[in-house]
Order: sequence, then structure tokens, then C-alpha cells
Amino acid sequence: MAGFADLNVPQGADRKAVQSLLEAAAHLGYSAVALNHIIDFKEKKQEIAKPVSPSELFPSLPIVQGTSKRLKVLTRLTLVVSDPSHCNLLRSTSTNIRLYDIIAVFPKTEKLFHIACTTLDVDLVCINVTEKLPFYFRRPPVNMAIDRGIYFELLYTPAIKDSTMRRYTISNAISLMQICKGKNIVISSAAERPLELRGPYDVANLGLLFGLSEGEAKAAVSTNCRATILHGETRKSACGVVYTVKKLHKVEEEETVPACKKAKTQA
Amino acid sequence: MVRFKNRYVLCEVLSEDPRCRQCIEDRAVGLAVRDAIARAHGDYGLGCCCVSFTGMKYLNAYTGTVLLRCRKDFQRLLSSALPLVRHLEGRGQRFPCALRTLHVGGTIRTCQKFLIQYNRRQLLLLLRSCTNEEERRSVRQAVLSCSLTEEQAQSGEEEEEDGTETD
Repeated sequence: MAGFADLNVPQGADRKAVQSLLEAAAHLGYSAVALNHIIDFKEKKQEIAKPVSPSELFPSLPIVQGTSKRLKVLTRLTLVVSDPSHCNLLRSTSTNIRLYDIIAVFPKTEKLFHIACTTLDVDLVCINVTEKLPFYFRRPPVNMAIDRGIYFELLYTPAIKDSTMRRYTISNAISLMQICKGKNIVISSAAERPLELRGPYDVANLGLLFGLSEGEAKAAVSTNCRATILHGETRKSACGVVYTVKKLHKVEEEETVPACKKAKTQA
Repeated sequence: MVRFKNRYVLCEVLSEDPRCRQCIEDRAVGLAVRDAIARAHGDYGLGCCCVSFTGMKYLNAYTGTVLLRCRKDFQRLLSSALPLVRHLEGRGQRFPCALRTLHVGGTIRTCQKFLIQYNRRQLLLLLRSCTNEEERRSVRQAVLSCSLTEEQAQSGEEEEEDGTETD
């Protein structure tokens, strides 16, 4: 079974705090953690820095309890978009965005949600849990996102902290469930302190509150996270696919050019 | 067979403050869990889960292990409310804490077996971070004496190092 992963640990400026978060995550049983840089375009245009490799920041990664492997730390970028012009950054091919392991987008309007699900080259679409959704989910973009392998992310730390947030979280989550039937969901924390993290089985139980079934909730913490990480890796590495098919007719003289089909994924 | 089927949920209390461990007592944890269930599932949840909830079945203040009981049909309600526990109140002080579910079993005996294995693994982890030879020896001794025999079961579970505890 895939190991448990927590795909959203905010990258603060304080290295010690993040280190204690990583240790808490390893103690709870998570095998992989993604450090999240949040870029908000409402402020002045910010430069997206190259991701600092986790091995430089944390020289000794803690060992996951229950196994004997070290915690895997990935880098992740979240873009908070409220305007279609912000998405142009994702289409340009020569920025530092390519170097992040996972890319997530946080759409604020219905049009942007549609664009994110259908055309943008991301791995995760974040669903707002801290306020009432300004738009309703519709089936066509959600189904297209599921076909493309994009996962929807729900946060659970606001639900732990505050009662009104809990209501918004549950209502937004349930409205998403009704459209996507529980597929392609990833639940992650946005914990700033180690005490806000919860163990993977506890998070799967929280998924039950959000309307998932038990198997789906466990998958939301383990297999779907692993699929997101793999999706990010293929996005980083695969640029084009060359597929050769040997023609099965008899070779006459030197006519042996194999037919090649070139399928280019979105670069 | 007509019998009440229960589910026993084994939890561990995680906290940053080392004084929180001393404050863990029966009533404090019970109140905190009941409060979380009330906030998450309302009056219905509180009524369902507190049918056979009178007190903890087992509490170990050194390791922060708690065993809760509920009816089998309402175990989902209880499990989904446990992550929402944030504070422990006791003796007029509030400590931020988190509960982590270790195991859910049908009987106390299965939970006990799991706890012994889990404690043995924790002791081995402690062994790795031991600093002097005497601690090493006592930890090894404790590991060897963990077993599920009738009279030794209790002592096996409670062999812990107070000083070098991992959190």
C-alpha cells in the first residue's frame, strides 16, 4: 500500500519551526511531506524563486515511525489566482516553476476553476475551505479534471481550529463530493504548528465527516497523494512521447521504415 | 448471541508541554472527548457515544495512552470526533494537545496485545537515542520482559523511561 503523505506544510521563514513540523509528521507516520510556497498575485508581482532543495535546509531528515526509511520532503508551489492573466505564468516554459515537484492552483472564480481543470498544467486544484464558495461546482470541468489526473485538495486544519470554518469546510467538501463522487480527492493539512497535525488514520476519519466512504477516505491520504506526486514527476520530466510501431508486413528490399506516431503532451 | 458489542479505541495523547503528561487524568480526557463529540455531532452524537462511556478503561500517564470504549455502531462518530480535540483541561490549566488513534479493537485483550507490541517498538526507538550505558541496559531489560503472560502483562506495558521519552 502506498505510504501516507501530507502534501501541504506551509514553508515559513523559521527553519526550526518547519523542522519540528517535519519531526512531528515523521512521528505520526507520514512517509512524504511537501513544503508549500504560496504565491499570491493580489500583491505586487512577486518573483518566483527557485525552490531550495530540502536536503540543504534540513541536513538530517527524521525517520518515519513504523518503517526504517527517512521522511521524503518535496517542494510545492501554490498559486492563488484571481485573474486570468495570472495564469500566463504557468504557460511560460522558462521560469523556475518547472523546478517544483508539485504545482497547485487556487482558483477564486468559476471561470478560473474551469480553466484550471481543463487547460492548466497543474497537479492539484485547491478548494477553498475558509469561506463560502462563490461559485457552484459543475460537472463538466470536474469530470475533465478527473480524466486528466488532477486532484482536488481539501485542508483540514481550519476545521480543527474554528467552528465556523468547520461548517464551511464540511459544506464545501460535501458539495464537491456530490459532483465528483469521492474520486480524486486529497486531504492535507496546512498546519503551522506541530500540534495541528493529525495522524493519517485520524485524517481518514475526518474524511468520513466530509462525505467520503471509508475506502475513499483512506485513499485520499495515501494512494491519491502518491498519484499526485507521480503526476508532478511526469510533468517535470516527460515532454513528448515517441511511440514506434513495427509494421507487420514482409520486408521487401530496404523498405523498413517503422511507422512512428508522435504524440506531444502539453509542454 | 445477545451481547453488547463494543469498540475499544486506543489513543495516544501528544503534547508539546511536558507538564501536560502529569495533568492527564480520567476526568480531564473524558471531558475533552465529550466536548469534541458535542461540537462535531451535536446532541445526537453526545447521546449515542456516552451510552457506555463512563470513564476511561485504561490510562497511562507516563506514555499518554488512553483506552476509550463506545458501542460498535457509534464507533465512527467517536473516531471522527477525536481529531477535533485541541485542549486538555485539568487543575485549572489548559494544555494544547492532540489525540492520535493507535488501534481500534473489539475487546480489551486485543488492544492490550497491540499496546505491548507498540510499546516494545517505542522502547527500541528509545534504545537508539539512549545516551549512557545504564539507560541502555535498563531499556534492554524492559524489552525482554514485555510479554503477554497473565501476571506480567501489566508490568510489561508500564516499563518506560521517564527521562528520555520520545514525544
